[in-house]
Amino acid sequence: MQNTDKNIIADLKDVNKRDLAFHQLVGTYQERLYWHIRKIVMNHDDTDDVLQNTFLKVWRSIDNFREESSLFTWLYRIATNESITFINSKKKKGLMPMNDASEFLMDNLTSDPYFEGDEIQLKLQKAILRLPEKQRIVFNMKYFDDLKYDEMSEILDTSVGALKASYHHAAKKIEEYLKSTD
Amino acid sequence: MEELKNIAPNLSKMKKENPFGAPKHYFDDFSARMQMQIEAEKHVATNKEFKLITLLKPALGLAASFAIIFMLVYIPLKTFIPQEQVIETTVSTNFSDKQMHSILEELDETSFFTLLENDDNNETFSDEDLLAYVSSNFNAYEIFEYTEE
Repeated sequence: MQNTDKNIIADLKDVNKRDLAFHQLVGTYQERLYWHIRKIVMNHDDTDDVLQNTFLKVWRSIDNFREESSLFTWLYRIATNESITFINSKKKKGLMPMNDASEFLMDNLTSDPYFEGDEIQLKLQKAILRLPEKQRIVFNMKYFDDLKYDEMSEILDTSVGALKASYHHAAKKIEEYLKSTD
Repeated sequence: MEELKNIAPNLSKMKKENPFGAPKHYFDDFSARMQMQIEAEKHVATNKEFKLITLLKPALGLAASFAIIFMLVYIPLKTFIPQEQVIETTVSTNFSDKQMHSILEELDETSFFTLLENDDNNETFSDEDLLAYVSSNFNAYEIFEYTEE
């Protein structure tokens, strides 16, 4: 664990320093968490909601953080769970099948005014959206965020072997989609 | 990366770029917005505590009233009624109970019925005595009513 993280955690657990430490925590991790959430929920407005919920959850449960994992891992885990919870709530409201949110996410992607990628990037995102949820998250974390399998294992509470298999399947499926739409 | 080249050659040729963007100054403002959310959260937490106390107030008041009434009644009774009197009453009651038990235990069925049949009161009444008793205790209407039955 980095020194700054240790200081932030120590200050967060001190009631007198909590506000300032939380401000520091938000400043340090807001961008990384934003992009992580954005790749899961796709549009900016939803990402903003989920990011706020993530930090609120961090604020509420800071006393329960037992420092068994790094601060970064803990934050990523909360952000991932919040994103999945958000998508599940949308599925319920939209009466979508429980394992299919791709249509809703596709709408999110195409209607997002802050999507800045070109045609190829859009095609790649569409290919990613066709993946099952877990594979999609694993692929994004490995391909875009370059996270190590060990870190991903802690965040997603999944074995390294299973993560490697997920990434392998995801990459193959994306490759097939890219070939078929050429 | 080598693995990706093998399983997905087209994908591995693509530039790894973040295709998403965010509104201008979004990250500059986010921390301040978050701070406001936290302040609101703190306020809600304080209100929740306050509401809990407000909800509990009547119940606590009632419990306190009962406690005061109990103390006002029980303590003077305990203080002013002599303890010896209580003990004596208890002992005497216990004694008479024991006595009754021992008498009943000693009796068998035949002696119990003999005791009942045995009339200790051998008093007899003459007709005149009865007439005098009836006339002094009942009026003519009552006598007529009983004799009709």
